Amino acid sequence: MAQITVQDLEVVDFAVREHRSLWKDAWRRLISSHTAQLGLLIVAVFVLTSTFAHFFWEYNPKTDLDYTQRLKAPNLIPTEEQPEIHPFGTDKLGRDIFTRVVHGGWNSMRVGLVAVAISLVIGVPLGLLAGFYEGMGITSLEQILLMGLIGLFLGLLPAWIAMQPIQAFLFAALGVAAALLPNLRLSKRARLGLFATLGLLAGGIPGLMVAPLVGLICGVLGLFIGAMLGTNLGGKALSDIIMRAMDILLSFPGYLLAIAIVAFLGPGLEKGMIAIGIVGIPVYARLTRSAVLSVAQKEYILASQAVGESHGRIMSRHVFPNILSPIIVQGTMGLASAILYGAALGFLGLGAIPPEPEWGAMLGDSYKYLSSGAWWAVVFPGLAIMLCVLGFNLLGDGLRDALDPKLRV
Amino acid sequence: MTRYILRRIITVIPTLIGVTFVVFMFQRLIPGDPAVAMLGEHATQENVERIREQFGLNRPVFLDREALAAGDLAGFFDTQYFRYMARLLRLDMGSSIHRRIPVAETLKIRFPATMELAIFSMLIAILIGIPAGIASAARRNSALDATTMVGSLMGVSMPIFWLGIMEIMIFAVYLNWLPAGGRLDPSTQLELRSNFVIIDSLLTGNIPALIDALQHLILPGIALATIPMAIIARMTRSSMLDVLQEDYVRTAHAKGVSERVVLFRHALKNAFLPVITVIGLQMGALLSGAVLTETIFSWPGIGKWVYDAILGRDYPIVQGGTLLIAMIYVVANLLVDISYSFLDPRIHYD
Repeated sequence: MAQITVQDLEVVDFAVREHRSLWKDAWRRLISSHTAQLGLLIVAVFVLTSTFAHFFWEYNPKTDLDYTQRLKAPNLIPTEEQPEIHPFGTDKLGRDIFTRVVHGGWNSMRVGLVAVAISLVIGVPLGLLAGFYEGMGITSLEQILLMGLIGLFLGLLPAWIAMQPIQAFLFAALGVAAALLPNLRLSKRARLGLFATLGLLAGGIPGLMVAPLVGLICGVLGLFIGAMLGTNLGGKALSDIIMRAMDILLSFPGYLLAIAIVAFLGPGLEKGMIAIGIVGIPVYARLTRSAVLSVAQKEYILASQAVGESHGRIMSRHVFPNILSPIIVQGTMGLASAILYGAALGFLGLGAIPPEPEWGAMLGDSYKYLSSGAWWAVVFPGLAIMLCVLGFNLLGDGLRDALDPKLRV
Repeated sequence: MTRYILRRIITVIPTLIGVTFVVFMFQRLIPGDPAVAMLGEHATQENVERIREQFGLNRPVFLDREALAAGDLAGFFDTQYFRYMARLLRLDMGSSIHRRIPVAETLKIRFPATMELAIFSMLIAILIGIPAGIASAARRNSALDATTMVGSLMGVSMPIFWLGIMEIMIFAVYLNWLPAGGRLDPSTQLELRSNFVIIDSLLTGNIPALIDALQHLILPGIALATIPMAIIARMTRSSMLDVLQEDYVRTAHAKGVSERVVLFRHALKNAFLPVITVIGLQMGALLSGAVLTETIFSWPGIGKWVYDAILGRDYPIVQGGTLLIAMIYVVANLLVDISYSFLDPRIHYD
């Protein structure tokens, strides 16, 4: 049989190409799209300038002050009356706005990165858990653990009221028992009644030893907890608990929640990052959950379940890599919105503490001087925010097309 | 259907209770003693105690287990949290600490201001965003499409507080065409009834006031509308593009149905569902963005009021305002979900 070479194959009229990995393929699609190119370019300019400025261009905001140079209009060529060059003009303290815009980029990037990292690190595992157990059910060992923990957690309330730690363990044991004995050859209703009664006893009897009224309250609580454990909570319950908590977090308008968290933590760039990170958690949790649910019924997941792989392994080896692309896309877009949030907090005086250069804070400082005609002090920091955010949004758009060609419209 | 709606409403209740709980906890967690905040730093210990007693701040936070052990069931629930919930059920949100005005009274004036701005912005966003989305889907890859897409990307990338400042700079400071802030000119006379300035001026037939109110609405309205407009345009476009690939659209074309009828009767109807979702969700986002817009345009709504209250540690206002906004958020989501079952007969629940 003759050897077939690559050259031979090229003359054949079906396409044969060298093997490329998924990521390489996505990268090729990414750099061939014009929007992504533009986005990459903008992002690269901002990342490089702010990084270089931070490490190699010394700037001390605390000593940068020159009242003789207050609110000077932008100039590119030195003249008689204005020998110094200020391409973006100067602000109310005579600081060069160009210098501060370039250095401010470092702070904005940091806010974006740290905030998105916080949202990802908390949101993605929550969504993964919720989606995985909702879509794929739960093993009996996990069921025991889950029910025990729910029992323990709910049992803390009667335990606290009656001042008897033992109650929490009684309910944990009840939870474990409910998980160990899934049917008991009883009808659903009889089983519910049985566990409710057990709960009533577990709560009521220790409570009675303290005072009759404590016994009553703990008994009633125990009745409800027992009934809840008796319904045999499964993976859906875990998912429900997580997603309801996310719903509550989502019920607060983003800016208001961020402001409130900063009010609680105190102002400052780092506190702002935490606040913005918390605001983003439910977005990633929801996205991850729905992505997991969409792959949960795929054949390769069913197959790995059939060959008896552990849940942890399925989650990390099969589910996670397949939900990575929406998370990467959302993360890039999330960077854009985190930078916007950071700027908004800075603008309101809740983010970076002056004189630290930060785009939003620069705007907030200067917009009161608008009536004196100093347009440059608000135009340039704002343009910087917009361009930077636009860059990440363009990149996110490009990534979506590159990572998920099916979604392409 | 009724059963689905009922079930959906019931699932909202835990979320609402959670929201009230978070708002309550939040007030407890903010550093600083509210009694001290009320009286100032130099208050005597005696006065602080009196205020703590008066506002129930000396009670346990959630449940009083000592009272229960002593056989006092009413005392068990007589705590800060349950007092707060009881007050909420009576719609009593307390009074501002600094101004001593009941929160509910101020909300009656400020809430319509925020709603007026939000509804006005949403109208702008819908009236521009949906036609732009339809047009760019119909003329895909045309110059119009590119403009819409670039414009909407700019829209979502724009810091709205910056856009607001730019608007003020151009239209109020340099051109002097429109007012820079506020809801009405101080010289404008208007008898307030519903506190919706537009409605009130229409009801009383006060045309100068109506014009003045509209002039004040334009700049903040546009600033606030930018993001929803951009998102609605993108959603309409991609949803229309999806639908335009469907077989029934091709069939309609094949039958010789005119382009316009295909676009509006066949495609738009079916493309509308995701757009409705986005509109509902953006209504909530508008209330969020209102915090910034109201601050820049000195708009006397709840956003700015709550923001000032957070900084001034005026807890009752923070509670009342946040709670109201969060409730609207939750209800808006609920309405979107329910509207699905009316708009799309293919969706069957239960």
